[in-house]
Amino acid sequence: MSTYVMGMDIGSTTSKGVILNEKREIVKTFLVHAGTGTSGPQQVREGLLKESGLEAEDILYTVATGYGRKTYEGADAQVSELSCHGKGTHFLFPEVRTVIDIGGQDAKVLKLDAQGRMSNFLMNDKCAAGTGRFLEVMANILQLQVSDLEKEAAKAEEALKISSTCTVFAESEVISQLASGADTPALVKGICRSVASRTAALARRIGVEEKVCMSGGVANNGGVRQALEEELGVAILYSPLAQLTGALGAALFAADKVGSKEES
Amino acid sequence: MEVLKKFEEAAKDPRAILDRYLREGKDVVLVAPVYTPEEIVHSFGMVPMGAWGADTQLNGSKKYFPAFICSIVQSIVELGMNGAYDGVKALIVPSLCDSLKVLGENWKYAVPDIPFIPMTYPQNRKPEYALEYTKAGYRRVISDLEKISGKGFDENALKVSIEVYNEHNRLMRETAEELRRHPEITAEERSAIYKSATFLRKEEHSALLKELLQELQAATPGREKIRIVTTGILADSPSLLQILDENGLQIVADDIAAESRQYKTDCVLEGDALTSLARKFSARDNCSVLYDVKKSRVEAIVDLAKKTDAGGVLMILTKFCDPEEFDYPLIRKACEKAGLPIVEIEVDRQMENYEQASTIIESFREMMEL
Repeated sequence: MSTYVMGMDIGSTTSKGVILNEKREIVKTFLVHAGTGTSGPQQVREGLLKESGLEAEDILYTVATGYGRKTYEGADAQVSELSCHGKGTHFLFPEVRTVIDIGGQDAKVLKLDAQGRMSNFLMNDKCAAGTGRFLEVMANILQLQVSDLEKEAAKAEEALKISSTCTVFAESEVISQLASGADTPALVKGICRSVASRTAALARRIGVEEKVCMSGGVANNGGVRQALEEELGVAILYSPLAQLTGALGAALFAADKVGSKEES
Repeated sequence: MEVLKKFEEAAKDPRAILDRYLREGKDVVLVAPVYTPEEIVHSFGMVPMGAWGADTQLNGSKKYFPAFICSIVQSIVELGMNGAYDGVKALIVPSLCDSLKVLGENWKYAVPDIPFIPMTYPQNRKPEYALEYTKAGYRRVISDLEKISGKGFDENALKVSIEVYNEHNRLMRETAEELRRHPEITAEERSAIYKSATFLRKEEHSALLKELLQELQAATPGREKIRIVTTGILADSPSLLQILDENGLQIVADDIAAESRQYKTDCVLEGDALTSLARKFSARDNCSVLYDVKKSRVEAIVDLAKKTDAGGVLMILTKFCDPEEFDYPLIRKACEKAGLPIVEIEVDRQMENYEQASTIIESFREMMEL
């Protein structure tokens, strides 16, 4: 009989879920743009079960991670998002030693050893600079969708400099640039550079060891990925599952738990 | 243990202790961080009471400070302005960091009813000439205390006070050793032992420590937890300590300014009491606010972690504390070189949301455990 486990990553702006089978193969993934404190986690669970054709009883173990991991009642255990991103990344790219995870409201850099264990990590300060929230605020001023930022940045030859680190100050700076007739693609490229530069500084504090991978929602933005590659001078690996890496890691922790139970 | 409740009560309600001392007719003098010659205050028959600020909303004090300054000094002024210290005779502030220097100057205007007494220390404390400089600082404190108390300085009384403080130091060190063997004592309970030491008269606190030591020595140690060493200026936030407890972490040793750093150095009585006390300051080491070109504190933290078999180091960094911020990269590198996991959590006296701290500590535990 097949056994299944679930990983739930309840972030500040999105909820993500992954179901794995006993061979640790991904059976189904699901993402909802509603994070902790909303119906997002429930929607993800229901969506996963419905699309995979599984029943709630088929899920042997669930691990929750992310900002909302402690308030989510449907989990058997909680693991921090740092450990989950580390585990998920090692599953996708075993050769990766540095993981840069930029989520909705924080940024983290993790060092992994050859076994995929987290050996060191750093988180950003308690502010939205250099996170997904920064990109959202900027996209809003430019009347763009966050998903359009990559396309816009690609159109620009030069990047306009955004000198402010603080999201609120940077917002005023972008408005001033717009008022003086700045080119939107060049502004977007500058915004991506701003996020990359802040994240690169965090990465350098812990030490960048190749290979490097990006996870988290912001990894889907090619503009930021490219700017980060230029800032750090290294190639950055990226998986289309980047935004689901935390949930994948949580599911892998759940699989470990089921495995160790079966062994005992 | 019943005695732990006594430490907790004292740590939670310093105003009740102050009121009790005032009712008993005692004069109380506030002593600001980090090293203040409490023995001198004690020798006048007064009660030196620690003023390390408190977790509180900063309002009135903002008038006197920029936003980018240590919240410990801001909260001391805030408490002074709100009447939390009403009834004390003076506040002594040592000159050991830039923020403390500013504290004294602002205190004079913000809390004019409570006199400010400066204690000026030399930057270079080791050479012989530094002893004279330190003693000059002490004489200024003595002169102000004489005016406030109406009493004269008594050399023999200072010798007695020095012995009281040495005995308390010894008991605090013994307690730290004993606590290491008792994982069942929570981080909150441990913190209360150290915090109450700053509020209570040393004779009273020593009596409680003796009681605690007896109980600990008779008790069976609880189940083992993950052992960590803490470092920083302050580690008394109940929310933060609860997170440590929830994650099954035991503080087996600390390099916290408000905790063990206070009790490492005794005063060796040789010759006159004031010179002996100056030698005590000169002998202090391994602290971010004490000038040390070799930064021996860094390796001392690694050694402490190794000696106590700790799995990692938690740096509790008081926001805008320059001396600690300067040391942090060196501590981090030394720990990494020694293969010791280290994480840093930034705290201040106004912090309410500990969600990020919780994630960091949880990841820290997982890193040591997985």
